[in-house]
Amino acid sequence: MKNVFLTSLAAFALGSGGVLADGKINVITSFPDSMTSPIEAAFEAANPQYDLEILNKKTSAGVKYIQEISSDNTADIFWASAPDAFEVLKSDDLLARVKVNSTGIPDKIGSYPLNDPAGYYYGFAGAGYGIMWNERYLKNNGLEPAKEWGDLADAKYHGHVGMSAPSRSGTTHLTVETLLQGEGWDAGWAKWKRIAGNFSTVTERSFGVPDGVNTGNFGLGVVIDFFGFSSKASGFPVDFHYPTITALVPANIGVVNNAPNSDGAIAFIEYLLTAEGQAVLLDPAIMRLPINPKTYANAPEGFPNPFKDSSIGATVKFDVEKSGARYNLVNSMFDVMITYRLDDLRDTVAALHKAEAIHAGSGNDDAKAKIAEAWALVEANPITEAESLDADFAAIFTKKRKKATDTVGERQAEVEARWDAMVVENYAKAKALAEEAAAM
Amino acid sequence: MKKDGITIKNVHLSFGSTEVLKGINLEIQPGEFFAFLGPSGSGKSTLLRAIAGFGPIPTGEIFIGERNIVGLDPWLRNVGMVFQSYALWPHMTVRDNIGFGLRERKFATSNIQQKTNEVLELVNLSHLADRMPNQLSGGQQQRIALARTLVVEPDVLLLDEPLSNLDASLRVQMRIELLLLQRKLGLTTIFVTHDQEEANTTCDRMAVLENGIIQQVGSPQELYDNPTNLFVAKFLGTANILTGSIETNGRNTRFVTTTGETLNLPTAAQSGTQLVLRPQNIEIQKTSGKGTLKARVIHREFLGSQIRYLVNAAGTELVVDHSHTPDGVWFENGTNIHLRPNTSGATVL
Amino acid sequence: MSSFHIGKPTQNLASQNEFWLFRKLTGLQSVALLIALVLIGLLVVPVGKVIFVAFQDPSTGAATLQNFADFFATPLFRESFWNSFYVSAMSVVFATIIALPLAYITTRFHFSGSILIQSLGFIPLIMPPFVGAVAMQLIFGRNGTVNLLLREKFGFSVPFMEGLNGVILVQSIHYFPFILINLSASLRNIDRSMEEAAQNLGSHGIRLFRRIVFPLAMPGYIAGAALVFIKVFDDLGAPLLLNVNNMLAPQAFLRISSIGISDPMGYVISCILVLFSILSLWASFLVMRGKDYSTIQKGGGGIGKRTLKTGEKVLAYSVVALILLVVLSPHIGLLLLSFGTIWSFAPLPDAYTLQNYITMWEGSKTFILNTILYAGIAASLDVIIGTAIAYIVIRTGIFGRQWLDYLATGALAVPGVVLGIGYLRTFHGVDVPFTGESLASWWVIIALALMIRRLPYALRACTAALQQVSITLEECAESIGATKRRTIQKIVVPLMTGGILAGFVTSFATAAVELSATIMLVASNSDAPLAYGIYLFMQTPSGRGAGAALGIVAVVVVAIGTVASQLIIERDKKINSSNDIV
Repeated sequence: MKNVFLTSLAAFALGSGGVLADGKINVITSFPDSMTSPIEAAFEAANPQYDLEILNKKTSAGVKYIQEISSDNTADIFWASAPDAFEVLKSDDLLARVKVNSTGIPDKIGSYPLNDPAGYYYGFAGAGYGIMWNERYLKNNGLEPAKEWGDLADAKYHGHVGMSAPSRSGTTHLTVETLLQGEGWDAGWAKWKRIAGNFSTVTERSFGVPDGVNTGNFGLGVVIDFFGFSSKASGFPVDFHYPTITALVPANIGVVNNAPNSDGAIAFIEYLLTAEGQAVLLDPAIMRLPINPKTYANAPEGFPNPFKDSSIGATVKFDVEKSGARYNLVNSMFDVMITYRLDDLRDTVAALHKAEAIHAGSGNDDAKAKIAEAWALVEANPITEAESLDADFAAIFTKKRKKATDTVGERQAEVEARWDAMVVENYAKAKALAEEAAAM
Repeated sequence: MKKDGITIKNVHLSFGSTEVLKGINLEIQPGEFFAFLGPSGSGKSTLLRAIAGFGPIPTGEIFIGERNIVGLDPWLRNVGMVFQSYALWPHMTVRDNIGFGLRERKFATSNIQQKTNEVLELVNLSHLADRMPNQLSGGQQQRIALARTLVVEPDVLLLDEPLSNLDASLRVQMRIELLLLQRKLGLTTIFVTHDQEEANTTCDRMAVLENGIIQQVGSPQELYDNPTNLFVAKFLGTANILTGSIETNGRNTRFVTTTGETLNLPTAAQSGTQLVLRPQNIEIQKTSGKGTLKARVIHREFLGSQIRYLVNAAGTELVVDHSHTPDGVWFENGTNIHLRPNTSGATVL
Repeated sequence: MSSFHIGKPTQNLASQNEFWLFRKLTGLQSVALLIALVLIGLLVVPVGKVIFVAFQDPSTGAATLQNFADFFATPLFRESFWNSFYVSAMSVVFATIIALPLAYITTRFHFSGSILIQSLGFIPLIMPPFVGAVAMQLIFGRNGTVNLLLREKFGFSVPFMEGLNGVILVQSIHYFPFILINLSASLRNIDRSMEEAAQNLGSHGIRLFRRIVFPLAMPGYIAGAALVFIKVFDDLGAPLLLNVNNMLAPQAFLRISSIGISDPMGYVISCILVLFSILSLWASFLVMRGKDYSTIQKGGGGIGKRTLKTGEKVLAYSVVALILLVVLSPHIGLLLLSFGTIWSFAPLPDAYTLQNYITMWEGSKTFILNTILYAGIAASLDVIIGTAIAYIVIRTGIFGRQWLDYLATGALAVPGVVLGIGYLRTFHGVDVPFTGESLASWWVIIALALMIRRLPYALRACTAALQQVSITLEECAESIGATKRRTIQKIVVPLMTGGILAGFVTSFATAAVELSATIMLVASNSDAPLAYGIYLFMQTPSGRGAGAALGIVAVVVVAIGTVASQLIIERDKKINSSNDIV
């Protein structure tokens, strides 16, 4: 009896360890189960000799994971939204250069090239970023949906907006970076801070935003488009809209360097690019923009078609290298200036909105000057764009220093502490100014 | 200290549907050291607690002095009670334990201090004022419990089996101290116990309870020598019961046992069929004579000052105590002897 | 019986068996050694590693306090520390507010709703806190049921779930039973004469409660409060699902999962979590030392019970009903969500359906099977090791046996997230033989983590069970000639069955819904157990209903487990008390 138990236990252990290495494909992905399951099912049905093993990790965690196991790599595929994450892996030499059969797939989506020109990773779907809202919530609060990013900074949306942080969500990072690139470093950050002043919360994971909008916890959310589409398809009273400044960016997939099953990995990527594979993207739980133009023939009504409607994603030419160079730095800035000081920022912006409302038509120039000064304090950045692109400075924010040789002048904690002090002081001063202006 | 008497009139008390006190009537004199004696389940503790105000509310009346306290909340009665477990609060020092009642009565702090010191002097434990109860011995705890009660100058003092948690030698010492203290203070005190020796050695009068009814009230000596029922007779000390009948013949009254043996009785005879004889009131003789009983020794116990014989006589077993001297006689088991009971103070029930 | 030896009462197992490597060790000593190794390998080493890394410079490997300096210099971390402390303390306060009236009503009065109150004490414990958090959000959130109705009728809303408040509310409702149970027991253990003596001396009412009753019940209260404090301080699931990240446990999780296992801050935070847990336990120990009032109270009997007047009865029932409603709100919310279609900005779901259960069932078979496997392994190992440790500590004189008890119980002070981090760090470089897979991502490690986390409770259950078995029964068996092994096998263990079974069931039920360590260690979705499955479901718009359905399954599993274990213990008590030989 005991022997039977032990043997079956051993079989179980070995089985889940994967003796059948030939057919197993290890996939590291940031996509949720609701998306990977239908694709996995379709792929395995079409290719029964393969078995996909999905390992779910957030984008940055996935990148770290691949970096950590690189000496004895067990991953075959990295599959995530954010192209800049792929850039990070590519520059670390952790992706394999492969040739993939991709007939019928165009070179670009919007103004963005779908595939890495060097052949290290491929696009398989497109995604844009935009604003999602809860119709019941807005109606109850007497609000109209916001159309542009700048709208979200309006006083009437104070306390009604939700967003995730770039450090916690690859897609949010892209959204932030898109606006920074579209409006410029200083103007972009200024806009983000004004919008953030209207935040109800900064969620832990990107899904927290559509979740919050779906349940009506807050009224508007900054989300990636498929969250909006799939929420609406699930029946929630929500809607979604692309603002003018947005980038259509591909979601990518790449083969990890020294993959144990690179044949299987390539087979999977190729499947994704076939008409059959692309069609799965229209599943209501997924709702990503296919990159095969023919697939749109079967798309549901109202589903945007970037190949027909060229306005989507055309305004910003997303520079993936720039994004990659300052990836962690941008994460840090957002967190230090916005996420961790959200209460202060919110209170300050509320005071400013109040002061502005009071002096809307007052003609009181002194008050207006104070208000402008206060806004300038809120919007002030601790570093310039040039500094953000300085490789040495940006290196402070990378954690994976394995070599002791690159000792930097400061540690990340020190820099962040400096920024935090500056920001706290500025917000406090700005709030005081706003209150003075309001009293005038 | 005040001297209030306690009068209990027709008190009945039930726990749910079970009646535990079945009509208690009692008068306790001011300043008296009174005992409630009885086996467990007799109702003695229930009665005491009823006086203190714990348990179900009885019917009837209980007067302390002139006040009827039935139905009054315990904290309004000003009766002092010492619990069997002493109930010293473990989280407070001795001083704080004692001062508790005074603080409840809103005495000034200096006053509390003074009174506490006085009462600690009274029980000779001033040096323990700042100890915690778990650092005290059993005897010390008892005295502190007493002090705690006395310091608030209650109208009466109720002691619920105060000695039963002490070991034997301490018990003897403590009962003397209790008595001396009571005499000094003159406080009306009720002392509940199941041990007749404790009751006998301390109280002025006692009430014997059994089954919720008072069996007899009187001084220890009265109850011992003149029990009014069999229960009291047996409870107050070892009692030999001879069954038989009384025959009067002019000036002589005799008791005839069921085995046909005859004993003389004092002329102030009673009626009844049970003759109560105490072991120490039966002499052992070698020969028979008038007023003797035939007996045979079954068993022998050496008690130190006495030798206690268990004998078969008059159709029953009797306990006979025989003074022991170093050169006295011993009777072996199976020996036939003769008993001469001293019937001059014997009771017939 | 073939092994019946007259004249050789106790056999040394070593002399019987050539198998033992060290001939000087008896069977029991070998077992003790084995357990010690297991505990060291699965508890001491990982936690030690975490502490070690916290004191290590990440680039040079030298010993340093710099990481801690960085921690305290960073405003975010200082804030997280303060927030964790604040939330834990406030949770104790609110848990007390809930538990104190209930404890008082049951112990002070003849209250026919006492059964109701007893069940109140167990309802929150069957809902894993992170699942309850989602449901509470729906009922008490900004635009949840209560606030929508309040705003509609009265024009105001209460920020029940804003920021830290949400965490405090969820945790108080979940953990108040610890205070209720301990406080009730404490009150019931008070010698009645303590109260009567005070009444006799003139005290009553609130004064009496304040000066006598509550101080005497204090040890029980402190025990419960300390437990609540530590559990809230260490909890990861509830803050995570409520989006509250500026607390210690979520910060540790976030640092490690987003920045990687090389980030020193995650370790520093883990260190602080462990340290603080131990500190709290020790502090409560100190407060309670010398206050073991049970030794000086000879009577017991509890405080005197009174009957309620009609007005008081109404008040009492109202209080109980209100508390019951609040306590049941996560369960109600979860039930509604599981049967609801769409629930958005409305007091109730739009419509009802069974579809979620169907979706859940289709998608969760793996989760449920995994859970049975992991929790089964964890619980089995728990009772085996628990029984062994209990026996070794209570019945033998083996050197260092107290340390087995301390080590096993020490797992209480290690938060799940820290254990997870420790395992990742310790085992990720180690490969499982034959598979080439890292030990840290092998599913067995999840079962082992669950085993360690539940071991303290199983150990207590086994200890209690063993203490019921009189040693004379063993001595009798041995004097007739049975060996130690056969005695344990044939006499001791069967008599402990009730306690062991109860321990198994409780271990199983609570391991089945553990999230903190699991979330760190799950390497792929196919290895995920129930709790993680719920977490996954809750990450998609279409999955909330199914996630809630799975949550209900989890609640039912834990409920059955708890009730079963209670029944087993009651039945066992009856059997053992009728066998009271001593």
